[in-house]
Amino acid sequence: MRIESRADFAAAQTAARERNAARRQQVLVCCGTGCLASGSKKVAEAFSAEIAARGLDAEVGTFVKTTGCHGFCERGPLVVLQPLGILYTRVKPGQVPRIVEETLIGGEVVPHMLYKNPVNGERVEQYGDVPFYAHQVRVAMRNIGRIDPTDISDALAEGAYEGLARALFDLTPEQVLEEVAVSGQRGRGGAGFNTARKWRSCRDAEGERRFVLCNGDEGDPGAFKDRSIMEGDPHSVLEGMVIGAYAVGAHEGTIYVRDEYPLAVVNLSIAIDQARQHGLLGVNIMGTGFDFDVSISRGGGAFVCGESSALMRSLEGKTGEPRAKYVHSTAKGLFDAPTVLNNVETWAGIGAILAHGGAWFAAMGTDRSKGTKAFSLVGKVKNTGLVELPMGTTLRHIIYDIGGGVAGDRPFKAVQTGGPSGGCIPEQLLDLPVDFEKLTEAGSMMGSGGMIVMDDRTCMVDVARYFLAFLTEESCGKCVPCREGLTQMLQIFDDLCQGRGRPGDLERIERLARAMQLGSLCELGKSAPNPVLSTLRYFRSEYEAHINDRACPAGICRELTAYEISPDVCDGCHVCFTSCPVDAITGTVKELHTIHHDACISCGACFDVCPTGAIRTFPKVELEKEAV
Amino acid sequence: MAQPCVDLALTDEILERYPRAEPSLIQVLQDVQRAYNYLPCDALVKVAETLEVPLAKVFSVSTFYKAFALDPQGETIVKVCTGTACHIRGADMLVEELERQLGVGPDQTTEDFKFTVKTVNCVGACAMAPVVIVGEKYWGSAKPSRVEKYLAEGGRDEN
Amino acid sequence: MATLSVDGRRVEVADDATILDAVRAAGVELPTLCHFDGLEPWGGCRLCVVDMWQQGWDEDWFKMVTACNHPVADGMRVLTHSERVLETRAVVLDLLLARCPHTPLIRRLAAEHGIDETSFVPNEEPTDCILCGLCTRVCDHIGVSAISSVGRGWGREIAPPFDEPPPDCIGCLACAEVCPTDCIPYETSNVTRTIWGRTFEMLRDPVTGEGMITRAQAEHFATSSGVPASYFERSDAVKRRQLAGAFAALQAATVEEGGS
Repeated sequence: MRIESRADFAAAQTAARERNAARRQQVLVCCGTGCLASGSKKVAEAFSAEIAARGLDAEVGTFVKTTGCHGFCERGPLVVLQPLGILYTRVKPGQVPRIVEETLIGGEVVPHMLYKNPVNGERVEQYGDVPFYAHQVRVAMRNIGRIDPTDISDALAEGAYEGLARALFDLTPEQVLEEVAVSGQRGRGGAGFNTARKWRSCRDAEGERRFVLCNGDEGDPGAFKDRSIMEGDPHSVLEGMVIGAYAVGAHEGTIYVRDEYPLAVVNLSIAIDQARQHGLLGVNIMGTGFDFDVSISRGGGAFVCGESSALMRSLEGKTGEPRAKYVHSTAKGLFDAPTVLNNVETWAGIGAILAHGGAWFAAMGTDRSKGTKAFSLVGKVKNTGLVELPMGTTLRHIIYDIGGGVAGDRPFKAVQTGGPSGGCIPEQLLDLPVDFEKLTEAGSMMGSGGMIVMDDRTCMVDVARYFLAFLTEESCGKCVPCREGLTQMLQIFDDLCQGRGRPGDLERIERLARAMQLGSLCELGKSAPNPVLSTLRYFRSEYEAHINDRACPAGICRELTAYEISPDVCDGCHVCFTSCPVDAITGTVKELHTIHHDACISCGACFDVCPTGAIRTFPKVELEKEAV
Repeated sequence: MAQPCVDLALTDEILERYPRAEPSLIQVLQDVQRAYNYLPCDALVKVAETLEVPLAKVFSVSTFYKAFALDPQGETIVKVCTGTACHIRGADMLVEELERQLGVGPDQTTEDFKFTVKTVNCVGACAMAPVVIVGEKYWGSAKPSRVEKYLAEGGRDEN
Repeated sequence: MATLSVDGRRVEVADDATILDAVRAAGVELPTLCHFDGLEPWGGCRLCVVDMWQQGWDEDWFKMVTACNHPVADGMRVLTHSERVLETRAVVLDLLLARCPHTPLIRRLAAEHGIDETSFVPNEEPTDCILCGLCTRVCDHIGVSAISSVGRGWGREIAPPFDEPPPDCIGCLACAEVCPTDCIPYETSNVTRTIWGRTFEMLRDPVTGEGMITRAQAEHFATSSGVPASYFERSDAVKRRQLAGAFAALQAATVEEGGS
């Protein structure tokens, strides 16, 4: 079981593949956090029970496997049948006997359970043909959805640790560094710093003891690719870290996981135990004499701990206050020792780079942004989930061809990228190829890959305010520009969204934004003005309406918006009546309904449910004018 | 401060699991939080002594991180995710509905100590926005009209 | 040694000096709030920001950094009063003035930068604390760590654990003395001293009755430095007289022995 030579590794891989081949049919049930929330565990149990009851496991070698997140969470629970390659969506335990009977045994599909393409209404049989998956090029996410993350044999069968074998048996640490340099990989956590350059600085730094760390603190709201990787293919992270440790001469590492990702902690722990048992981690890895071991550390619930120096302080048992990085952490990092910190997705790509070569990776992507990137496409889009694509793919392709377009076919307004450090990209820039430079030029940022689609029912001033409120909560409070600046900026925005905007607000915002960008200690404060500045750049008229007209053009800001029902359109269906949380609507069935303005809280619930579009928004100030 | 007496044996047990030094502090506090459902001050004093970290620093760390509570929490924690995807899909309305039904807002506990409501940062289930977590159970595509059901079914996760 | 220019003036400083050292060597005044010689620089107030250029960069590409903790480099160029530096400093003081509208030091510094009234929303509960961290940092430096920063973000404050009299405090008053806005209150007499809600017994000179230091502080020194606590029971004046007496006796003895 313990791998102590190259021959052992080859044998382990072969044994794993033979075991899988004996399973002539596989039922892959997604058990990532999203599908679990939809009840996929019961679906997996139903399959196991039904298959055992039918004796299929013994006769045909049918095997039920629970996998990590496929990324198509909204259509979960997701089930893939191999080797047929069929994908079923929204599977319920009650449907399992039929699937077993008709598809596993009968070889026929159950049409209404297939994925239905929202663009053309067609049912798609093959997993690989679903546009959501067809367009993807999965490198960091290569095995997620195909393997059981709690079974190392499965990972080995799919090529895990091949990169490590090549690194340890065929290459020197310097050559490993070279390979990563050829790949051109840049960090996938947000900063996009060249991986090989970072490793080289650490390698060249002084000090016996050094560390490699994994940043699993994925704090950008809207991003969940790291969760998916840690839950669904923890071995890809471990493999990357061992390779990195070998390249820089480290023997200790830690994976820092957000407190909010309990399943990731569980699956990583299992993977670490199994890797150690197999000699792929710990002492004398694969019999080469190289030692490296990892531990897991849970975050305490602080977005700022995604910042590298704050993360290291957290690992030292302290509060997550960043420090000025005039001395880089590759020279003095954790416990003042040379440290390499990389993101989960960055580590996950390393094994593939070593296995297939740096040139293979560099052949994908754009001039300065090589390889592939994972994106979490969420918000007002039809197909929400995780996708991995070559850098340089356009926003339009991602949102429309893969995402299926805006939910409810409402007009597209903007796509927000880069989390609280990023910005909003408007319709006229939809053909922008996604890479580090292009997004920054457009006033946004790659960040960790979150892409939040927004429709016309989004107020861009409110979006900026939302991010400011988030950051105000998360600021560590050490430096004046961020701590005081965010509070004051948020105050201005609260005033704007509640009708208390005054002339000169935009100038005040811009002055404060500049000081925060230049004067803040860390990137949290420095990039905090980005959502503000990007929405000002592309949606200035919305700001002006809030200030000059006390109106919210999108009809979202509650203090500025009133609702009313059009007499010509209302058919008295009574649905709005039930939806109103404060009973502000009166009316009897089949009769015109009325919204009472004094009771109405402008939450928009009625607007969202009205089937005939009879409800419209208008500026609340008009009510006051009427009253006068 | 008036706090109920706690059994410090639990704290001792937790302290046995980690090296007795400052770097263990946050992991220890997380286990203490999970054991008592908050961080009792007697436990914090014990932790400070055992790990040889000044009490002021232990207190500083306890108040810096969101995972920790210094007051007893309700039996079931109800978390509404306020990540961006959840926000634009109406997380606010869920918080309001919870307030209507339970009479408490974020970071408050019901009088009978059955529920504590919290707004939390993105939990990474964005494709299922908006998300409410009751105890350990995740409810995706949550609606205010179903809040009563979420609360009634409680927090034990069969998954 | 490193040679660099500060506002056009050439200065030479030690290799491991900070930009602040170089600025002071050039005779230029730079405002600071969270800096204290003898304590590790912290870089929190952001008042000492300067524009800096290093060799190898494009001619007019400057980076704004805090002078207190940025190391010098040979050939570096520093601008202490560029337009954007002055604007950033002004906004920092404007923000502090909003937080601490009645604090004399902040009002003076803000006025020096052209700000008499904050352009932001003033704090509903004005405070004198600017959260510079000096008090906690000096307390850590002494090896006591009785107080710390509590919470994070705007609600952050300096307090003892659980907001109760801190068990580890030794009543040395270092925190009160280092505070730039004098916002840590204390009372002291020959008999007792009270700070952070704790009352300490003073060690008194047996002859003059003068209160020297707290017993707790003496014990702390005794444990950390090996100097016996009794050393602190003599007032400085008494010690000087004793030394003078001993010296006079020695002198007299030498004169007797050796002639004039």
